[in-house]
Amino acid sequence: MSQDIATIRVTRYRPEKDAKPFFQEYKVPYRHDMVVLDALNYIKAEIDGSLTYRWSCRMGVCGSCGANIDGEPKLTCASFLHEFKGRTITVEPMTHFPVIKDLVVDMQDFMEKLVKIKPWIIREKETPPEQGEYKQSAKELERYSQFSSCINCMLCYAACPIYGLNEKFLGPAATALAYRYIEDSRDQGKEVRFPIVHEMEGAWECTLVGECSVVCPKGVDPMLAIQKTKILGATNAIKSLLMPRGGR
Amino acid sequence: MEDNKRYPELRRRLSPGWWTANRHYTMYMVREWTSLFVALYSLIFIYGLSLWAMGSRADFLNFLKNPAIVGFSLIALVFTMYHAATWFYLLGAVAPVKIGRSRTKPWQALVLNLILLVIISYLAIWLLVLR
Repeated sequence: MSQDIATIRVTRYRPEKDAKPFFQEYKVPYRHDMVVLDALNYIKAEIDGSLTYRWSCRMGVCGSCGANIDGEPKLTCASFLHEFKGRTITVEPMTHFPVIKDLVVDMQDFMEKLVKIKPWIIREKETPPEQGEYKQSAKELERYSQFSSCINCMLCYAACPIYGLNEKFLGPAATALAYRYIEDSRDQGKEVRFPIVHEMEGAWECTLVGECSVVCPKGVDPMLAIQKTKILGATNAIKSLLMPRGGR
Repeated sequence: MEDNKRYPELRRRLSPGWWTANRHYTMYMVREWTSLFVALYSLIFIYGLSLWAMGSRADFLNFLKNPAIVGFSLIALVFTMYHAATWFYLLGAVAPVKIGRSRTKPWQALVLNLILLVIISYLAIWLLVLR
């Protein structure tokens, strides 16, 4: 089988040596079925062992290998080298996040946001497992199922200029996941999550750029979730204004 | 958790030209900028109405007939239409209506809202002017 050569320009940043990040170019032979992550692995194994990046499953499930490829936030495991045939492929760390080394960014901020929205089913009173599961119909599942496909790859944060301007913004993935639990018929934690998604840097910070939904590798539509959150919040506010006692 | 950060991380800031990075960002910026013309037109129109309220209807009409105001109004009309169309499209994207098993597409909301805009505008003109 014939092999093509891909030219890859990767951001290098070694804080112990470099004051500023710079690009390093590598030539990688590739087959038709190879992706950018395969090229990074080739570089690390054959050319330069010091290249640092995150990866795990190499099949679009773990969400570890996100990077900016030719300026666009993408999973390196889902970007085929042959799609860039004839031009240099630029691989940079995801935008908006602090860089620790080369392509590795600091995920701390997102991890804190993820925990903040309490991504688990909250019950007013837990029933013992012997009493069986909390049942849900297919129709009830459909209300939130797309938002449960998030793999926490943070590409949506790299694509969001609002997050770039204000890192306090709760952001696409965390809000979408909060909405996923708010819409879950088994969940009873709306009172707990509502103040979180509606605080100053919550859903209302979003100005509908929409790029989060464009870059999502799992077909989640965080932009939709954020707007639905706004609608829920607004109707809730009106209801509680009109019916202070039972308006829910 | 122990603090094991030995080196400072590289912090990056959004560059002023971020919105030129891709087509979606640019279209977003155009959408946001066109709203400026909507606001400016509203201010001019409110000023015109104040002329009517404090002076006469002729003052108001003369103000509107000023070539500069006519020119600006035409530009504002184009931008307002663009702004409205993008928002109608987004309305369809964030609030799709479920019909049977399928959901409406954003462009359907755009078309429906444009038709409604024409009908309501005509009704308003008919009620206030033509009748």
